[in-house]
Amino acid sequence: MTEPATKATSTQADRKHYAFYSGCCFQGADARFFDILQQVFDKVDVSLDLIPDAVCCGAGVIEERSELASFAINARNMAGAERMGLPFFTPCSTCFNVISNCKKRLAEDARLQDQVNEILAEEGVEYRGEVELTHTLYILAHDVGLTKLAERVTHPLHGLRVASFYGCHTRNPADIQGYESSHNPTSLEDVLQVLGAECLDYDTRNGCCGYHAAWPNAELSKTMTGSILQGAKKQDVDLMVTSCPLCFKNLDGVQPKALAAADKPFQLPVLYLPELVGLACGMSPADMKLDFHVVPVNVRL
Amino acid sequence: MTTGKITPKRESLLANIRVQRFTPGHDRSPYFDNFKLTVETGMTVLAALRKIKDDQDSSLTFRAFCRSAICGSCTVRVNGRSVLACSTQLLPILKDFGKGSVTITPMANLPILRDLVVDIDPVIDKLAKMHPYLIENPERIPQALEQESLMSQDELNSFDYLTDCILCGACYSACSSVQADPDYAGPLTFAKAYRFSIDARDNFRGIRDQAAIDQGLWSCVQCRKCIKVCPKDTRPADTIRRARKLTIDDGIQDTPGSRRAKTYVADIERFGQVNKPMLPVAVYGTKGWDAIEAAEASLTRHGMEPTRRVCTLPGQEGAARIFEKVREIEQGEKKK
Repeated sequence: MTEPATKATSTQADRKHYAFYSGCCFQGADARFFDILQQVFDKVDVSLDLIPDAVCCGAGVIEERSELASFAINARNMAGAERMGLPFFTPCSTCFNVISNCKKRLAEDARLQDQVNEILAEEGVEYRGEVELTHTLYILAHDVGLTKLAERVTHPLHGLRVASFYGCHTRNPADIQGYESSHNPTSLEDVLQVLGAECLDYDTRNGCCGYHAAWPNAELSKTMTGSILQGAKKQDVDLMVTSCPLCFKNLDGVQPKALAAADKPFQLPVLYLPELVGLACGMSPADMKLDFHVVPVNVRL
Repeated sequence: MTTGKITPKRESLLANIRVQRFTPGHDRSPYFDNFKLTVETGMTVLAALRKIKDDQDSSLTFRAFCRSAICGSCTVRVNGRSVLACSTQLLPILKDFGKGSVTITPMANLPILRDLVVDIDPVIDKLAKMHPYLIENPERIPQALEQESLMSQDELNSFDYLTDCILCGACYSACSSVQADPDYAGPLTFAKAYRFSIDARDNFRGIRDQAAIDQGLWSCVQCRKCIKVCPKDTRPADTIRRARKLTIDDGIQDTPGSRRAKTYVADIERFGQVNKPMLPVAVYGTKGWDAIEAAEASLTRHGMEPTRRVCTLPGQEGAARIFEKVREIEQGEKKK
């Protein structure tokens, strides 16, 4: 794995830097995602500077014990990026949702923000509320921009039929992000079209993959995963692409079980958006570690 | 901008309004009718439907009453999004999607009676099981008529935002979990139950806790669509988290969901992170070992060394301090 801190020093002026908050699916057993993300972002002149001293956002579960604890923890996470003077970037849609929700609640409620800052003061940390939050989708579609991305595409995916899937946590509720319409988002399709792929509409496109029901109600979670996949399959797509790493985990990792439970024995390759961007920019399936997928990606790209 | 002008620029657009039609027993399946309509600035979905009914097809059937976003009877879906027809303007939606057409369908997750009218009885039945009314707590509600039951501002704030709910069902129509499991009670049902359970004058919380668990409190997937569509901004998914906390605090701790909540919080306090490799055992007990072994086998297959230890970012001391401080604050509040 490359070290982001050392990389930052040796770059040209137009390189964009982000304070990187990894979340749980970009480390440990899933560290390959960080590796993939860095390779892909390197291609488009983006550097990720790891936020030191970050804490798990709690995925909305801390709130089930204490809302105040969740706000304090995530204000502390955002304060980490504020100290670095960089936009806060998390590639995980759930981290994005939880932290954006925290930012919004604190902005609405000065008393709450004071209370949170009182908790953080013991460590000498202050959350000012000035940080900008962003996600893979917006870095690619807005900050890097479609023009630059198009320049870096060396292996366009012409003719590839793709079902795009945002997942819930960059879309709901409507004010969780200010980059695009949450009722009719286009960033994912915009990126995919630049890569040369053809996006097909399908009836479960706005559905929920069920990831966050997996622990309390695994059966329900599998039903939801299966239904998304079946909707995409009806359009005879070559593969699904999602911008959410947790949706990826469910749609790919749980796919065999979900489709067995639904008695629909088909296979549909699912790619995490940066993987497909990497492939279109000339990286190999080995670079993108496609052999880690549960559902084999047999489409030759 | 010129001063003194408060009227927005009037715009109009000839649009195609696709409306789903269906008369059970008469039509074999739902189908779409297309109506051409000039949509003007300020025109609501309901105004459009009325205009179509008046001028083009008097058989078009929909529900509406107050036209003031308070009776909750006119919920439909516009381009898939559940809205009150009377308080939603059409032109911004037409512009957002940029197709010159919108699609109006009835609420999802409920049986269609005719066209845009659905049968809301399933919601009402689920709501009834939740005892959505105040059962008085004699310690807080005095017997003598001349005495008042006083409530502090904080006590009122704990549920005040939920009294805005008009039972329009937009959240139920948008709910991912209801769609996957028709027995799941739905956002508004849990929110209404919580509104009474957290009321200081109420004495029936334990029964409602159990009713909520029985109707799927832990099956909410937190897709947050209910928050997005609620016309009164009551944030049902956030309330579901609060209702979960209530059931754990009240002693219902033998569910996978409550074990997940306790494990997450304990892990984050200790490690700054959730110890994911061991989560299956923490949530499912010894049955979880199968999942752990399967995950480890898959890592080994890819030449990675499996671990049962959390991977730690260096924020753990900060997390521990926060939890300690929050506990102090919350215990202080309880004593008050």
